[in-house]
Amino acid sequence: MKNLYILLLAVISFTIVSCNKETATTQTDVMNSMLTNKNWYLDYSITGTSTKSYVGQSTYFVTYLKDGTTKDSDGLTGTYTVEVVGNQSQIHVQLKTAGGNPLEVVYNIISVGETKLVLSKVVTTGTATQLYFTNK
Amino acid sequence: MRSTRLFSNKFLLLFSIASIAASSLTAQTLTKKQQDSAYLLNPGQERIRKIKKSLAKKFVNFVGNDVSLFGSLALSKQNINDKGVTAPINYLYNTVNSNTFNSGYSGGFRIDGIYKEKHRYALSFAVNRVAAGNNYKNKYSLSPFIDDFTHFKADNNFTTINVAAHYKKLLPVNAMNKYKFYAVFGPSFDYKISRISNEQLINGAGNRAIINGDLGAEFDNKGYYVLYAHYKLGVNMTSSSVPVQLNRFEIGMSIKAKDLF
Repeated sequence: MKNLYILLLAVISFTIVSCNKETATTQTDVMNSMLTNKNWYLDYSITGTSTKSYVGQSTYFVTYLKDGTTKDSDGLTGTYTVEVVGNQSQIHVQLKTAGGNPLEVVYNIISVGETKLVLSKVVTTGTATQLYFTNK
Repeated sequence: MRSTRLFSNKFLLLFSIASIAASSLTAQTLTKKQQDSAYLLNPGQERIRKIKKSLAKKFVNFVGNDVSLFGSLALSKQNINDKGVTAPINYLYNTVNSNTFNSGYSGGFRIDGIYKEKHRYALSFAVNRVAAGNNYKNKYSLSPFIDDFTHFKADNNFTTINVAAHYKKLLPVNAMNKYKFYAVFGPSFDYKISRISNEQLINGAGNRAIINGDLGAEFDNKGYYVLYAHYKLGVNMTSSSVPVQLNRFEIGMSIKAKDLF
């Protein structure tokens, strides 16, 4: 009988301890859930002190699909992954140019939410451009 | 002749057993219910009886223990400080910040007794369904784009198991032989047993253990039932990137188990 109590206690302890915990993919899972299957319309682009507003124009949008593919209103298609490199969250986009050559574009995720997305395009030279999207 | 003697011996033996049984029954003056339960003894009951006896020997100073069942309505609000979150996630402030008390409920059992015939106490075990309003302490903005947002979204519906140890101070109010009023205080401990969302787990924010300080008042109506109102102030038991302060008001009633069953 004593063994039965110990076994019962062990099962209860295991049940409590084995409940869900943070894993390496928790953050990317949450960001992916906010990012995918929406049309993200560009509202502003800011490069240095130059701000361009596209509010209400719906001129450019990009979509990140749940299957890992992406497409934009210019007709560019490719694949993407959301990664956390160091402490920086990023979107790595693999595109193909009009000539069929592969091209990787990396965006730092400044902020992502259900309706607001802010990206900063990673550049090797010059000033980075911040892109402000909304999905409404 | 031999059969008559055998019958006589058997009769004497039977008579003796019956006499002993009858005398023991009259000596104990068992009620009808006790007599019935005497026939229904089973290994489980016997084990419980032994445990009770053993506990009574060990906790000789803890007397008058009454087991009661209780249920309560709980109003909850949590204050959330998300300054430790580094994930670049935004939740629009106005959509997640209600800053109100939302209603949940709880149920369980408690043991009320007296320690050394002087100090009244209550030990309780409960399961709580908490529905909490959220008050986010920090607001962020990303001009010109996002006015107010938070980096973190706390779960506001969750289930906990709760263990509490309360000291009860009898208050000299009214006719104390009929109605008793108590001031109640003591610690309690909550452990979240429901699933924690991924959003709550980010950056090590998903703590399950909450330690509370409880304060309240109780009204005992001639021992028939107890009405109570408790306030619980809880904080994360271990350090967290998102310290949460959980405020709860509980209004409930307890009834002695022996009166119910």
